[in-house]
Amino acid sequence: MRGLTERLYKAGILLQLLAFVLGLAFTQAAFAAEPGSLAAIKAAGKIRIAVFADKPPFGYLDESGKNVGFDLVIARRVVKDLFGREDAVEWVLLEPANRVEYLEANKVDIVFANFTVTKARAEKVDFALPYMKVALGVVSPDRNVIRDIKDLRGKKLIVIKGTTAETYFAEKHPEVELLKFDEISEAFQALTDGRGAGLSNDNTFLFAWANTNKGYTVGVPSLGSLDTIAPAVRKGNKELLAWLNGEIRNLGKEKFIHKAYAEALAPYYGNSVDPEDLVIEGGEFR
Amino acid sequence: MNLEFMQGALPLYASALLLTLRISLLGIVLSLVLGLLCSLVLYQRERERSRALWGLGKLVCVYIEFSRNTPLLIQLFFLYYALPKLGLMLSNEECAVIGLTFLGGGYMAESFRSGLEGVSRVQFELGLSIGLKPLQLVRFVIFPQALALAVPALGANCIFLIKETSVVSIVALPDLMSVAKELIGMYYNTLEALFLLVLCYLLLLVPVSFLLTLLERKLRYAEFGI
Repeated sequence: MRGLTERLYKAGILLQLLAFVLGLAFTQAAFAAEPGSLAAIKAAGKIRIAVFADKPPFGYLDESGKNVGFDLVIARRVVKDLFGREDAVEWVLLEPANRVEYLEANKVDIVFANFTVTKARAEKVDFALPYMKVALGVVSPDRNVIRDIKDLRGKKLIVIKGTTAETYFAEKHPEVELLKFDEISEAFQALTDGRGAGLSNDNTFLFAWANTNKGYTVGVPSLGSLDTIAPAVRKGNKELLAWLNGEIRNLGKEKFIHKAYAEALAPYYGNSVDPEDLVIEGGEFR
Repeated sequence: MNLEFMQGALPLYASALLLTLRISLLGIVLSLVLGLLCSLVLYQRERERSRALWGLGKLVCVYIEFSRNTPLLIQLFFLYYALPKLGLMLSNEECAVIGLTFLGGGYMAESFRSGLEGVSRVQFELGLSIGLKPLQLVRFVIFPQALALAVPALGANCIFLIKETSVVSIVALPDLMSVAKELIGMYYNTLEALFLLVLCYLLLLVPVSFLLTLLERKLRYAEFGI
């Protein structure tokens, strides 16, 4: 009798586990199908936009804790054109590896966090028209500059999880040993502590970082393919995507991305970068 | 669920599982040693009223409070990011093991102490009265009873420490949690990656929990009557 009860009990536990897993699978499907329509956003009176808090000069917090940067200048304008005022927005701060997840789980409506367009990502989210060009780079200390990927042999390269740099090195140069961090700020902390020979990320970001941090050089200025950076919406959210694309085309007519560059990036780059190497107007990338 | 992706990810999870196991084991063994030493200091302090022991005991108390009342995450942050500023550079694995030992030592010390204190005073007197030397008294009378009393708490601490390893990705160690996050970040198969993560932790912890129950039965034969 005891054996039977025990067996029934065990079967019960197994069933519960199964139900839990199935439940997970279905919730996922339900979220993916739910559209955060433009009407729903307008009814809520605010839009949720994901941005970075630790990637100056693209998305960061200033001394007063305000979200600022190149991405933010463009995102604020988008909010203003949608609602007629700039403050109808909830800024959601995230780390790079969470960008797709936050859209899929319906935590945000748009990701405006220096999001490089890649094939793998485009399968999970819908990218709008691009506003920026980017390639990868490697920054390293002046006393031991990395000028070529060959220089990395037997050394550690710091990358941030969920970035194109991580994917690039994992797939194209598996011989390079990677030291992976969740947060951008932790990764740079590790670089300055000398835990790695260099750090790889978007070259645009590294130029700005090396300009403000003495003793570091972007020894590998361009690596991999030239990619674009664009805002993204949840997969299948066609209405918001179409509106956002229209908005980016309109901004191109008044050369707004150049204005955003002058406001947020020029102070960091000075004359070291030509705006035309970085800015895309109206989503037209050749 | 994308089974092909899960199959491809298995080797990554396997090596991460080994790493998690290695750090956990090192952390558990070292924290058991540290905990035992600390509890012996506290225990002896009650019996001998020497000044040196009193000071040492105070130090142990401070350590226990400190280790039990700060999160592992913060301890790891300190070891990995703050110590280099003071000129001490530890590797990420050293940081993880030291962090776990520091945290676990406090918990283990308290568990051992409760076990030692649970052994009744009469047992000493009885032991002495049949002519046992102090070391024999500890080896054959006090320690087996104290261990039997402490083992459920010690076992719970072991499981706690294994679970706590899930934060070591903060020091860039490719443990289970870290691999799951990485796969999500690179291939965006959130459900599959997290499902494998839960499965791996179960795979790791269920046998440990089972072994601990067996150990408990074995050590507490007086109570279980086996």
